[in-house]
Amino acid sequence: MSDPYHDDALEGRFQLDFVKKLWPYVRPYRRGFAGCLAILLVSFGLEMAGPWLLRHAIDGPMRAHDIATGERLTSLTWIGFAFLGTTFGGALLGYVYGQLTAWNGQRVIRDVRRHLFDHLLGTALAFHERNTAGKLTTRVTSDVENLNELIATGVLQSVFDLLKIVGVLVVLFFLDVKLAVFTVATTPIVVLISVLFRRNAQRAYRAVRGRLALQNAYTTELIGGVRTTRAFGREAATAAKYAERNAATSDAWRDTVLHFSLFFALVDFALRATTIGLLWFGGSAVLEGTMQPGQFVQFWLYYGLLSGPVKELGEKYNVLQAAFASCERVFQLLGEPRFPPPKADAKRTGKRGKARIEFADVCFSYDGRTQVLDGVSFTAEPGQTIAVVGPTGAGKTTLLSLVSRLRDVTSGAVRIDGDDVRDLDTGSLRRRIAFVAQDLFLFTGTVLDNVRLFDPSIDEARVWRALETVGAADFVRALPQGLGSQVEERGGTFSQGERQLLAFARALVVEPDVLVLDEATASIDSASEARLQQALEKSLRGRTALVVAHRLSTVRAADRILVIERGRVVEAGTHEQLVAKRGVYAGMVAHVG
Amino acid sequence: MLRALSWFRPLARAFGRPAALLHRHAGLVLFGTALVPVHAAVTLWMPRLLGDTLDQLQAGGSADRLRETCWLLAVLALVEAASRYVSRKTLIDASRHVEQALKNDLVAHLQKLPVSWFDRSRTGDIISRLTQDIELVRFVMGPLLLHGGSTLCLLPAGTWLMATMDVPVTLSCIAVFAVLFLAMRLLMPRLHQWSKKSQEAIADVSQRAQEDFAGIRVVQQFDAVARERAAMATKNRRYLLANLRATRLRSLLHAMSHSTSGVVMLGVLIVGGHQVIDGAITIGQLFQFTGYLGLMTFPLEILGWTLATLPRAYAAGIRIEELFEVQPEAQTGASPPLQGRIRVEGLTFTYPGAAKPSLQDVSFTLEPGQKLGLVGPVGSGKSTVLALLMRFYDPPRGTVFVDDHDVLDLAPAHLRRLFALAPQEPFLFSDTVAANVGFAHDSVADDLVESAVADAALDQDLPQLNEGLGTIVGERGVTLSGGQKQRVSLARAILSDRPGLLLDDTLSAVDPLTEQRILRGLQRARGGRTVLVATHRLSVVRDADLILVLEGGRIRERGDHAALLAQHGLYAHAFRLQSEARALERGSEDAP
Repeated sequence: MSDPYHDDALEGRFQLDFVKKLWPYVRPYRRGFAGCLAILLVSFGLEMAGPWLLRHAIDGPMRAHDIATGERLTSLTWIGFAFLGTTFGGALLGYVYGQLTAWNGQRVIRDVRRHLFDHLLGTALAFHERNTAGKLTTRVTSDVENLNELIATGVLQSVFDLLKIVGVLVVLFFLDVKLAVFTVATTPIVVLISVLFRRNAQRAYRAVRGRLALQNAYTTELIGGVRTTRAFGREAATAAKYAERNAATSDAWRDTVLHFSLFFALVDFALRATTIGLLWFGGSAVLEGTMQPGQFVQFWLYYGLLSGPVKELGEKYNVLQAAFASCERVFQLLGEPRFPPPKADAKRTGKRGKARIEFADVCFSYDGRTQVLDGVSFTAEPGQTIAVVGPTGAGKTTLLSLVSRLRDVTSGAVRIDGDDVRDLDTGSLRRRIAFVAQDLFLFTGTVLDNVRLFDPSIDEARVWRALETVGAADFVRALPQGLGSQVEERGGTFSQGERQLLAFARALVVEPDVLVLDEATASIDSASEARLQQALEKSLRGRTALVVAHRLSTVRAADRILVIERGRVVEAGTHEQLVAKRGVYAGMVAHVG
Repeated sequence: MLRALSWFRPLARAFGRPAALLHRHAGLVLFGTALVPVHAAVTLWMPRLLGDTLDQLQAGGSADRLRETCWLLAVLALVEAASRYVSRKTLIDASRHVEQALKNDLVAHLQKLPVSWFDRSRTGDIISRLTQDIELVRFVMGPLLLHGGSTLCLLPAGTWLMATMDVPVTLSCIAVFAVLFLAMRLLMPRLHQWSKKSQEAIADVSQRAQEDFAGIRVVQQFDAVARERAAMATKNRRYLLANLRATRLRSLLHAMSHSTSGVVMLGVLIVGGHQVIDGAITIGQLFQFTGYLGLMTFPLEILGWTLATLPRAYAAGIRIEELFEVQPEAQTGASPPLQGRIRVEGLTFTYPGAAKPSLQDVSFTLEPGQKLGLVGPVGSGKSTVLALLMRFYDPPRGTVFVDDHDVLDLAPAHLRRLFALAPQEPFLFSDTVAANVGFAHDSVADDLVESAVADAALDQDLPQLNEGLGTIVGERGVTLSGGQKQRVSLARAILSDRPGLLLDDTLSAVDPLTEQRILRGLQRARGGRTVLVATHRLSVVRDADLILVLEGGRIRERGDHAALLAQHGLYAHAFRLQSEARALERGSEDAP
């Protein structure tokens, strides 16, 4: 069975490529990160100074019975304040370190996120049709977030931990070779326990993640499907199925508890056993007089510094793996080609009120095998309306998307005022063309935001003008906050007809040269049906338009009708011409009624 | 007494249920907790042993004595590890059991709540209570069980042991810790506040991104990419700032607790060191004292953590309990055998909390086996009629009857067995196509599924799905098109074999050819079933015995297809336009 979670695999491998790809984002902040590393080094020194001071307190003033008490007290006080100094210094550095990593790390993340979002908005429509919005959103949010771990936990913290382990071991050797050898010999045991635990815990966690994902998916479903469950009287069955999934997750959780309990017990015992060993060897050394008690305490405390990083080695590795996986996914998306591809010598085109659209032997295929459009040629003279009719799946909607270059022709050319759209700057091309879809896509925001699509350069007066033109002004005015009213999720505020009118307003407010329109099927809506008719007429007047028509009145008014079947233009002409021809179109018209 | 109860009641409300569930696992809890004092005693014994050993080493003690101590320490370490393992495993397990039971109970409870309640509630909110809130309660309960006991043992015992050694130093340590503790309590809420703000900010980023990707066609077509980029930059900036503020507080807290240990060590070194020099205590005792201090840090951290998290867990507990307190739908009422004659009389209905009625003075009668068409614009009340028949809402008394029984007098579950509903937004579970179609049954024969699938014209799509009826669909499987989902939902309704079919705009997303197939299939599958169809597609109700044209909740036109066409009203106009659209989508090869 295929793994339904492969997409969000949480373990990835390190690739050298990541460094190369991540570096441009890190580069602007390299000084900050270098500062972080420097702080880590200094605070490591301070951390090492503490036990050293304690040793001198013990072996110095506390045990130096031959020196005057006053002097001993003074030096003890000095050592005490030095100790305080190291801790305060450490605390201060820790604070600065936290700030500095966040300041730089978060900015790197922001830049990556910004770039990724930007990049995704500029990828091909076909890419978005393959990848759901939810998936892409996860990449932009959580996956990018994980990159932070790569920088903060991965590079900085891991380097520091390794440094700490090596540094402490070196110092231990300087202090006492015998004890150091003992420490080095036992450390692998702790590491081994940690590694074994990591492997088991990872397996257990994977089970938790998989089962929890299933359970949570079902949770969402049983709430969303409550009407369905109720309608078919399946309440008990649904609850039982939930309980089953819940039990599976809970079992998996308890399995992780087992691993954790064992790990904590084992690793603590191993560390304790090592310290007892140290006590035995060190104690014997002190008894033999080869070691000072303070020195022994210092050794003992240094060993304590070692246990933290060694214990966390496994945990860090988990975090890093997740970060690697995210890194791979993010860069994979960033590698997705932009559509249209950037073109240096792209020609800018400006609004001129009218446009001439020409399709020259246009072919289009999604998969390279089936031709969706097969040699379509026609010309829309400035101000003309071209109506397109034909069965579902004939390629009508695809044809519309070629004008503003949402897709590119496979062969042939689409030209606007004689220029191939592929030679033009896409932004300037798209600004000349407006699109009215069958259903209005509403964004969270106000009615104003939705009509002008968040473009602040379009003022309210212009928005009102567009609303007046399409006959939507009065119902917008009737809303509680007028233009400032928030649209509801799924647009429950508006009827189908009203949504259509708003779609027209959205198109007209940008004052396009060309209108591309996918006409919606009429519904029983006496309030807006007549207005829609008017809105359509007003929108088409004087503009070049390409309309996938669903009304006879629209086709009749068109300057030219294209009948498309299986990607080919089978008939073309005016309504009268085509009716007289008694062909496919005449057959269609005969079926009205 | 009463004042004591006034704080107890809300606590009992928030945590009473988890506590009661925990009671079921009393054995585990008792066993785990019993080991806590053992663990604490062993832990407290160790610094003492080490201190003594240090003193002996200085005094030049014997190697035998050292060996004995090492063995004793090894045994203690073993006991410590074993008790730690057992108590962790049992107590955290117990908290997981409680989480599991709490979730099951809540789901079972939700299944009994009225549909109208779900309409008033936000799905996301219910889910977050069912998942995050319960998990938060568990998240606090587990460590509280595990460390609560040991904190209760270690804190007083450790303090007492320290005090027996040196009262002033102990007192000053307590004072310093108290200051740290207060500072933490002061800063923690602000940290939570900024964490919450950062979460809100990223949710905002996420929502905008989601919309932009879902509406990519609009964004690209209207060349809105640059604007969206700018809008996103603002949102990203808010997130960045909130995150930095949260980090600053976190670093501050960390630095404070780090400094505290410095201050405490200064006190121990200077005061304790003086006493060592004076000969009042030994170095070993000083060492022992710092050992105790080290042991106290963890319980103090846990105490701080608990106090910081408890308010959130309390709020979560209350939110969970609020769901449990919602009254389930009453399942009272008669369950007589029903023929399925539907009579609606002067029905005016206003949704709870709505200002305007959704239905006004609606009347009609439908004999068993007849077909009713409900047509009209969005919000005209079509779905409401169906929802009232299913009694998802209670209609006013004396308005909706089945076989002359007021639906209010029938047991809801019994009434619902009369109808199979294919709702407006068909709901698919992440399961196989077959399981979704057979949803109404515990198990159902394959051939019945296949025939329902054929009647709903879903069979023509099966070859596209890699595993046919066994293909997993829904959120975690193959995404079906709107029309395919509708047909799964329709097949489900057909297969459920109820005497009445309620189709709520179920064919809106299928193409005209498939629609014709479905209508023929429906005719076949229907048998003597009563059918109520709410739709925008007038072709679907052409053969209905009665068509009601609704607008604004009122019946504007009524009659069968021929009668309505003759009226030249709304219906006739819309029918003409729709048949134009159909004609313009006809291919030359379509059968006449």
